[in-house]
Formats: sequence, C-alpha cells, structure tokens
Amino acid sequence: MLVFRLSAQRPPKPERVTDVVVTRLEHVLEVDPDLMRKHVAQQDIPNWDMHRIVSARWEHIRDIHEQWADSIVLAGEGSELGAGPPEPMGET
Amino acid sequence: MAETTTSGEATNGRSSTLPEEFLEQWRDVAYNCFSSGHKFCREVCPVTQVTRDERFTPTAFHANVIAMEKGHLSIEDVAEDYVNCTMCGACELRCPNTLFTGDFYRFRQRTIDVVKAMRAFAVEQGIHQKNWQRWAELTDRWGNEPVLGWTRETSGSKVRAWAAGLDIPTGGETVLFADCEAAFKRPSVPRSVALLLRACGVEFGLMDQQWCCGGPMWETGYVDIAHKMAEHNMIDWRKTHTKRIICPDPHDYITIIEHYPPLDENFDEFEIVLAVDLIAEAIREGRLELGTPVQRTVTYHDPCRLNKRLGVWQSPREILRAIPGLTFIDVDHVTQWSYCSGAGSNLWVEKPELTAEISRRRIAKAQELPGVDGLVSACPWSERPLTEQGEAVGMDVFDIFEITAEAAGFEV
Repeated sequence: MLVFRLSAQRPPKPERVTDVVVTRLEHVLEVDPDLMRKHVAQQDIPNWDMHRIVSARWEHIRDIHEQWADSIVLAGEGSELGAGPPEPMGET
Repeated sequence: MAETTTSGEATNGRSSTLPEEFLEQWRDVAYNCFSSGHKFCREVCPVTQVTRDERFTPTAFHANVIAMEKGHLSIEDVAEDYVNCTMCGACELRCPNTLFTGDFYRFRQRTIDVVKAMRAFAVEQGIHQKNWQRWAELTDRWGNEPVLGWTRETSGSKVRAWAAGLDIPTGGETVLFADCEAAFKRPSVPRSVALLLRACGVEFGLMDQQWCCGGPMWETGYVDIAHKMAEHNMIDWRKTHTKRIICPDPHDYITIIEHYPPLDENFDEFEIVLAVDLIAEAIREGRLELGTPVQRTVTYHDPCRLNKRLGVWQSPREILRAIPGLTFIDVDHVTQWSYCSGAGSNLWVEKPELTAEISRRRIAKAQELPGVDGLVSACPWSERPLTEQGEAVGMDVFDIFEITAEAAGFEV
C-alpha cells in the first residue's frame, strides 16, 4: 500500500559498492553523488518515486519481453536480471 | 513575437525572459531532454497522438526553455502552447532519462514540473488563459472549484452535502478528503467510499470546512491561490486533530504529497492514504465482503495520476477481480501508459474539444475489447469526459468505488 509519510521519503545514507557506485535502497544502484555536484546537480527524489521508477523499468522490460521476445538471454551467471522484479511497492 | 530591448525586457514593460532562478531550477532538465533527442515521449503523449502538433510535444516544452534562455522566444510566444498538456506523466515516465537512468543518477525528466513552472511564469507576467483565470477566481472566492459551472456556487459549506444521511462526524484522527469534482458533480463516488470504509471497520470523519486541495491551481499557474487552499486545509486538519487523510481521488493524493510538505515543516504528523489501496487491503484480509454479483463485462481505465504518476495499478485490479459475476477484460498497465482521458490539469476547461477527442479515443479502445460495455476508472476527473463520450456509443462508465459498493450490497 502506498502510505505517504514524509519522514519515510528521505533516502538512507549511501553504502559504497564500487569507487563510483553507491547503494541506498535495496537492489538500487546509484552513482556516487560526489560525481554529480559540479556540472549537474542531483534532484531531491523521494523514496516512493525512486521505487516507482525502478518498478516501472522492470514492468516495461517484462512487457517488451512478452510482446517481442522469443527467448530471453541472461547477461551471465548470477546476473541481476535473474533476480526478477522487486516486490510491489510497500509502505513508503 | 514580443518586441524586446537588448536586455530581453519586453517593450511593454514586462520582463518576458526567464528569470535566473527559473533557469537555475529547470535549465538542466531542459538540456537533458533537448540534448538527448530521445523522443520516446511523443507517441505516449495523448495530446501529440491527437494534434500531431510539434509545439505541444514534451520535447518542445523543454526546447522552449533553452530558446528563451538564448533570447529566441518570449513567454508571450509560447504561453498558450503550454495549455496543451494533461500532465499525465507518460512522457517523463517513458523517457529513458527517467525509466533507465533516473534512479541511478537521481535525476529524472520532470516535464510536468516544467509545464507547471511555465504556466506559473505566464500568470506572473500577466498572461492568462481566459477560462483558467475565471476558474481560479471562482475557486478562490468559493473555496472549491466551479465544477458545476460558472454560476452554481461550490462553497465550503456545501462540500459535504454528498454525505447527507450518512451521519459522518466532523474531524477525528482520520478524515475522508472528497475532491471537488466527486463531492459536487459525482456524489455517488464519495458516498460509495464512505459506505465501503464503514463496512471495512474504518472510522473516519469529514473536514470541518474542506477547500479544494489546490492541485488545479498549482497545475494552471495560480500558485498563490493554491498555497491559500493548502494552508487552509492543514489548519482545518490540525483544528480537528486529524492525523490521517484518506484520498479517493489520486489527484488530491499527488497534490498533497508533492506540494503540501514544502509549506509546512511539521507535515510529518500527517499520513496520506489512497482509498483504493485501503479497500483492496480490506478485501484481501477478508474485512470487506463483496457478495452481490455484478453481471457486467468491463475493462479498466488506469487513471494517469494513479498508474503513471504513482505506480499504483494493482489495487484496482485486485478489487475488480474480487467482484462476483463481473467479467473483467484487462489491458495491462504498461500499454496504458499511452492512454488518457484528457481531463488532467483542467485541459477540458480551456480546450474542451481536445479533451473530448482524447476521451473518445479512450472509449474506442474499450469498445475494441470483446463483449465490453462498461469502462471502470478510479478517478472522478477522468470519469466526466469518459462518461460524455461513452454515452454517445453506449459504453457505461463507472467509478471503481461505485461498482464495488454495488458488489457490497449498497445502493448509492
């Protein structure tokens, strides 16, 4: 259920994944915010909106697969494509 | 084109070039769109589908910002172009800059916000769209939108008339926020919601003096009036110790969660909930029984604010699949990214023929489905033009709460 409470929209502190990638939300990789301070600043995107974008991408890809693909090739063993779409949006 | 001085000031004394604070906020998204050249936005845009007019495309809306920055255009040249948008969100969702990279970069396309900002800038410069201006003036005067026409007052004292006979208290920890359109124009919707919530065991009240959420004011550029509406509503909530606001209309939900928090540093004390999610949950948990068959064959219209703007598409389908006797022919919610009723952002007030055509096409898509003679939506604003177009071809249009209330055995 999409229950909105403002304090639940602020993203958690980032955890480093690589030298240019961090993660804040489960299964969501983000660019290191330090790389987006000089030329283009990041936007203030609430958690519900981040989840919406991620879910929409999976749903779009699934739709494309269903409409156009005879078979789906995974990128490699343990590819995140094999992880499947995240759970539907819960309380945010 | 407006005559300008070399500094960009219009010779009529108005500054028609974009102020620096506007550019600081919107230059990056404008270039992000213009320089990428993707244009996936075009065919999902309901206005582009109908008009094929390049001036009204999401690309043009962004390119104008760059052109104005460089002095090639003024707001006078393009203000009317920005009327042609329902703010459905299809463009910014489908854009790869959102869909494939928006979360990675924490930077997405924001066409809706660009259009809102341009409309507000036009109003600031004294450029008004005649009907929107009148709509805003009456909303300001009456407290609610003139959804019954220019002469039938929709005041705060009448906004709960739909609840006659239901004995709903005033205030309390949870209130039901019935939007202007449903409250005055389609009262069967809030009545259905009220009866269903009661049947689920949800205790709720109504606001003491509900005003318009302010959404259409933000959308059409009348920001001061929007602020006034929002501040009034928050005062009313606090007056009645309200902590939770249930929104049957996704327009209200989006307006409140996007626009109210910046106006109130204590907004965290409020919790905003969609009625469609509550009802779906109640059905899932067995707290709401739908025992009366509804022998119809229907399809579902994903309202823009619910599907594209909020990503909520499962709850309505869950509800419809729980209604006994109902044959539900679905069209998936991704295909419906390109569908629209045409009602959004008060387009129908200023360009009724464009809304009518967008709705006509939506009804036509429903007619293509085998055996379907009913279209269910979950947004009262969409139901107005869809109902008008549906009547012409024998397609009934229901609100999801109306049909669910029928299945629950209520007569509304």
